[in-house]
Amino acid sequence: MTTATVDAARARKQRRERRNSIIRHAILLAWTAVIIFPIYWMVLTSFKDASEWVTWPPYWWPHEPTWHNYAQIFAFAKLDPSLSRQATEQAFSIWKGLADAAFVCTAASLLALLLGTFLAYSISRFDVGGKYFRHMILTIRMIPPIVVAIAILMYYAILIPYATSALFGVRISLFDTYVGLILIYTATTLPFVIWMMLSFIDEVPYTLEHAARMMGAGRFMVLRRVVIPLVASGMVVTFLFVFILNWAEFLLALTLTHPEVTTLTVLLNKFQSASEGRLYGPQAAIGTVITVPVVILGILIQKHLVKGFSFGTIRK
Amino acid sequence: MAQIVLRNLVKNFGHVTAVAGVNLEIRDGEFLIMVGPSGCGKTTTLNMMSGLETPTSGDIIIGGTIVNDLEPGERGLGMVFQDLALFPHMTVFENIAFGLRVKNVADAEVEQRVRSAAQQMHISHLLQKVPRQCSGGEAQRVALARTIITDPSVFLMDEPLSSLDAKLRVDMRTELKHLHKRLRATFVYVTHDQAEAMTMADRIVVMNGGHVEQVGAPLEIYRHPSSQFVAGFFGMPTMNFLSGEIEAANDRLVFHSKNVEQVLPENLAADLAGRKVVFGVRAEHVAIGTGNMHGRVDLLEPLGDGTLVFFNFGGETPLVANVEPETLLAAGDNVTFSFDVKRSHLFDAENGRRLN
Amino acid sequence: MVELTSRTAPLRSDTEAGFLRRLGAWFAQERVFRLIPFVLVEVIFLAVILIPFLLTIYISVLKWRANRPFETAVFAGFDNYITVLANDQFWLAVGRTFYFAGVAVILELLIGFVLAMVVSQTTRFKALYTTIFLVPMMIVPVVVGYNFSMIYVDSGPLNQILAPLSDLLGTDPRIRWLSHPGAAQWGIIFADVWQWTSLTFLIFLSGFSALPQQLINAARVMGATPWQIFWRVQFPLLKPAIVIAIVIRSMEALKMFDPVVLLTFGGPGTSTQTVAYFLWEQVWVFNKFSFGAAASILLLLIFGFLIFIGIYMLVRQRNIADVARAA
Repeated sequence: MTTATVDAARARKQRRERRNSIIRHAILLAWTAVIIFPIYWMVLTSFKDASEWVTWPPYWWPHEPTWHNYAQIFAFAKLDPSLSRQATEQAFSIWKGLADAAFVCTAASLLALLLGTFLAYSISRFDVGGKYFRHMILTIRMIPPIVVAIAILMYYAILIPYATSALFGVRISLFDTYVGLILIYTATTLPFVIWMMLSFIDEVPYTLEHAARMMGAGRFMVLRRVVIPLVASGMVVTFLFVFILNWAEFLLALTLTHPEVTTLTVLLNKFQSASEGRLYGPQAAIGTVITVPVVILGILIQKHLVKGFSFGTIRK
Repeated sequence: MAQIVLRNLVKNFGHVTAVAGVNLEIRDGEFLIMVGPSGCGKTTTLNMMSGLETPTSGDIIIGGTIVNDLEPGERGLGMVFQDLALFPHMTVFENIAFGLRVKNVADAEVEQRVRSAAQQMHISHLLQKVPRQCSGGEAQRVALARTIITDPSVFLMDEPLSSLDAKLRVDMRTELKHLHKRLRATFVYVTHDQAEAMTMADRIVVMNGGHVEQVGAPLEIYRHPSSQFVAGFFGMPTMNFLSGEIEAANDRLVFHSKNVEQVLPENLAADLAGRKVVFGVRAEHVAIGTGNMHGRVDLLEPLGDGTLVFFNFGGETPLVANVEPETLLAAGDNVTFSFDVKRSHLFDAENGRRLN
Repeated sequence: MVELTSRTAPLRSDTEAGFLRRLGAWFAQERVFRLIPFVLVEVIFLAVILIPFLLTIYISVLKWRANRPFETAVFAGFDNYITVLANDQFWLAVGRTFYFAGVAVILELLIGFVLAMVVSQTTRFKALYTTIFLVPMMIVPVVVGYNFSMIYVDSGPLNQILAPLSDLLGTDPRIRWLSHPGAAQWGIIFADVWQWTSLTFLIFLSGFSALPQQLINAARVMGATPWQIFWRVQFPLLKPAIVIAIVIRSMEALKMFDPVVLLTFGGPGTSTQTVAYFLWEQVWVFNKFSFGAAASILLLLIFGFLIFIGIYMLVRQRNIADVARAA
């Protein structure tokens, strides 16, 4: 090959690579724009004054940015009449939704974590549930939530009151209660906890437990002193993952609670369902408040998500 | 007084029988080594002694008491594992102290005993380190310190040296023997390495396929293996085996194989005539340069204190002889060879049992 | 010589053993300990899965509307099931659900795959792009629904962007997207794609990064073009990831609910009703409990069948991977 042809080939290759690089970045930037836009729009709207909500053409930057929407939702008072389009009984206040969601999510996630870790340990060491249980555990999640909701509705609102009044003479319903929602959230996230903790516990060599038992430690002590310290970081990741799932949960909260218990997702929907006088500002503010912590948390545990989702697609 | 007795021990895992009836008496204070290839049941037997596995049937008796139903921690045993099983999240000090902490021993006493054990194992300078920071040999000593601190009367060891490199392994062997003499405790040790077994044991238990093949002192096993399996397992290089049959000729028994004819010693039973047997002879008992059998040298392996000569004689496999290092030989040489028949072995061709 | 204190001296815990400690010790015994999880699993299964399920079946064979007391319920055999099966709206909702799920999943697979491929080939800002692309998955679906409703509104930014096009066509740019059945359907599909492409992206990214570089190098040394390398080396190795992405995403997409409630309420008319929404409406809005119970059992059967297929495909994939690895 002459130097001329070699040079020409190299130049062609460079041009082609530059062109490919431009195409690549174009694709990436395009999708980035698609992703960022709705989020940007929501945060943007949350800072808009009522008069700017439905202008045409819509404003891409508030002409008069305001904290008013946030003040509205974080207010303890019920209603600011000057702002409502129609007289509504809508309570803007985000506090109830926030408190309920925080309480339910934390409690359910903790409960699922404790129960799930214990069960994962048993599956890992004792093969509880059979040899294939660990592969089947996630299939439980494939039941459509609406079916679960209907079944649990019957259960909470009909069977349990019936049973408790027959047995104890007192009519206890789990419909629209904290306990009810926490229990169902725990049950639906338990498979995830087990699945994630299984992978962490499997990594702890069982000879460590053998050594501890040889020195006289009972199973509980072995768990407490040997196994748990070694999977502690895994437990944190699992807790956060499950917390996010519960935080975003909508269908079960919508169907099984309200108004006694109102999570943030249900609260947001309540605004949405008003056909007149949509209050875009406070809604956007609530949306932002719901989303920002979750996104931050998600970015933090992102590394673990990538690892967990490899599913052994191609084993090394 | 027999410290440990295993009586008719059987362990099945579903359809697989790992241990098929083991009877053993382990004497107080001896260094007993269980050897065998992978899957022979030695580790399972050890785990049953420790309590980490429950026997399908049979009894384990320690110091006169049947301990089948006792938890591992209640049997007064110490155990060292193949991967050492040091707690990675605790310091060396806490690792050693674990057995005491479990029993809620007072802090002052813990401190004193840990330091004493560490001093015995020469690791006092490592007490504040984490296992990850220790070398292979140091970690080994930590594992030992952790075991001796509870002062058990029996030490169970599951291939503790297999994770060490060759030189360290040899050093640790000597250390373990010293430790055994010092503590005067019973050591029950499992390994697949026959060299380890030979150098360290007071008695060796050879296991194969869940059965005990032979129990005895190392030299006894080396010189009088009770089966072809045992004979082939011990000794480097492996014993030479020739398949053939015994014939009676002129009042004597003669072993016949392809291109090989060996007159056998007089003290053998006469009913051996006509049997199909395997003739075994170790490399150091094959002499080159004498005798009336012929062969051709294939390969030479100089060891320094001797030379291994691999040669073909027209049979199915080559034979190995261990000769003086000064012998001048080269590949392709034609040689004569003979066997030291008084030190040879005869095994039944079907069941491998020793015949002479 | 190590001192012989612990074996002979009385243990502190013995003399101070309280009831709780002895109870704990009893539990810590091996044979008891092994039973606890077994018992737990059985209890949970019974209380949370079996009993509600049986209850639903029971109610599905009654004739009962919830605004009347329970005592008026009458045994009705399979009537409810027949009603459901004969109900047009139900089947339309089912078909629509498959349509939404199918289109959305195909789009998510394509876009996710392309993005993963491009990102894995990029060196600059790779981590940044990855982080950004994973964000939609983490946003609460309800909020996503709300966001898109804001964008689709007639005075919203979507119309503004398309305004030049509308002017060209001579139509009023302030289109009420969610009031047209076809457009509303695409609105929901796009909301789903926006959010869940992150997931397929994640799965494919893991797949791409797990590709052994050695194989690609070997192919290059043997003179293969990038296109050939892609089709003959990379793509076949990514098949497990593709299958997993399909199965997981399809299962989830068929349950579509949140965007429907937030964006369209099943409207206009019933044109965006997914089967989950339909059921919700029947039970919570119209209080037709028995109908809902029967429909949910039927849905469970349909889903059970699909789950079975999904598991079969996943297991087959795993077995192939195992065989390939062992070879």
